[in-house]
Amino acid sequence: MSKSFKVRILRQADPNSGSHWETFNVDYEDGMNMTTVFQRIAADPVTTEKQPTVPVAFDSCCLEEVCGACTMVINGRVRQACSALVDALLEESPDAIEVRPMTKFPVVRDLVVDRHAMFESLKCVKAWVHVDGYYDLGAGPRLAPQVQEEAYPLSRCMTCGCCVEACPQFSDKTGFIGPAAISQAILFNLHPTGRVERDDRLGVLTGPGGIADCGNSQNCVKVCPKEIPLTDSIAKAGRDTTLYKLRQWFGR
Amino acid sequence: MEAQSQSPGLDAKYYFLIRRLHSLCGLIPVGVFLCFHLVANSAILWPGQPGAEFQKAIDRLHGALGPMLVPVEIVGIFIPLFFHAILGVKIWLSSSPNASSYTHGPNIRFTLQRITGVFAFVFILYHVWHMHWFGKPLGAGHFELHTKAGEPAAAVTTATAIQAAWWIAPIYFLGVVASVFHLANGIWTMLITWGITIRPASQRVSGYVCAVFGVVLALVGIGALSGFRTFNVDATASSGHGVTAATHAP
Ligand code: SF4
Ligand code: SF4
Ligand code: FES
Repeated sequence: MSKSFKVRILRQADPNSGSHWETFNVDYEDGMNMTTVFQRIAADPVTTEKQPTVPVAFDSCCLEEVCGACTMVINGRVRQACSALVDALLEESPDAIEVRPMTKFPVVRDLVVDRHAMFESLKCVKAWVHVDGYYDLGAGPRLAPQVQEEAYPLSRCMTCGCCVEACPQFSDKTGFIGPAAISQAILFNLHPTGRVERDDRLGVLTGPGGIADCGNSQNCVKVCPKEIPLTDSIAKAGRDTTLYKLRQWFGR
Repeated sequence: MEAQSQSPGLDAKYYFLIRRLHSLCGLIPVGVFLCFHLVANSAILWPGQPGAEFQKAIDRLHGALGPMLVPVEIVGIFIPLFFHAILGVKIWLSSSPNASSYTHGPNIRFTLQRITGVFAFVFILYHVWHMHWFGKPLGAGHFELHTKAGEPAAAVTTATAIQAAWWIAPIYFLGVVASVFHLANGIWTMLITWGITIRPASQRVSGYVCAVFGVVLALVGIGALSGFRTFNVDATASSGHGVTAATHAP
């Protein structure tokens, strides 16, 4: 008989109902990740108490830690299910792997959450480059290699939500836009065309929910799966907003 | 989201300014005062006539300020302190510390910064109360610069207040440590907040510098405390240098 392991999952039928834990026994396979675990449970959704239940709902898309859809809290730490390997998880917690949805977003069902707040934050800081126009503006300005090197790591963000989940300052109580949006503001301020809206972005960062809400716990940079230098962006935003305010008050 | 939907009220308009003032207030004047206060108090450890150097340090300070002492204390210390503390608590209440799930240094310090902040504030209120009004009901002295007769009394009255009960020195110890941690860690985060240390390497260096600063300042404060804890109150009284009786006078 092959060996098996336990998985405890915090389940919730819909946005308005309460949540409860269910435990499943899953047969071990080599190189298993958490997405496979959910698929095996779906094939035979019976809890350890022999109670038949329904498959666990979860989001996924790329299955290679690129889209961020499968982000959830596994063994108390936020991460992607598709890149979370069972071997490593059992080493962290040999009794049972514990899975719950992210806590900073409304739950849609089981492990599926609504990360709309992240998108709203990106809209707030105008995380884009304006290229719309009625006629061809020709080729854009060139980026110096140094700027490219600075911008590329920031551009890897997949809006997965790990950073805001771990951020002690991010919640619906504070209205903080969160580290990902701050970092994107810095990214688009680096861009020669995006720079046109630099002061708009800095203006938002100096408002409620902006850079001042960061408490420098540096959890964001610790948990970011794309290893984005979020705390560099945050400190840069601190410097740029200071200079922006001085420019505003005293003129350039 | 919030940044957009909120109507631009006064606190929204001056949000950044208020938060930067909050950051600044912790260092200037409150933090700077803490340094001067602990260093001046450590003069109790100086050799020679017990308490003489401490008396001189305090006399010099009070002499320099003269009648401006109380206004300077209120405007320069109490108002910034209360502003820093009240807004700080409000910020704490809106956050959700999670040092038990994400256990790395900066996050643990994030939680400690909030705990030490509140502890230090409560301690400072107690400290002011204790030194000015608390001594008499306990039958101990309370801080006086001079006796009625004009004799120096700063050291002996402070020592009497510290020695009034066994639990006072431990509370002062915790108060000093919490205040110093809050200041040292506050300087580290302030350097990030104001965008002075950006790269992890520079933040590491500033971390070491702040840690050394904190340890030295804490030792100065604890040294001062132990100086008052072991100060021989009776000997000073009988030698005529500072009169304890005066502190019991109505
Ligand atoms: S910054 Fe990192 S953790 Fe945050 S949303 Fe982007 S990829 Fe995810
Ligand atoms: S450093 Fe700031 S943004 Fe990052 S987790 Fe901490 S409080 Fe949140
Ligand atoms: S499915 Fe895309 S990150 Fe996991």
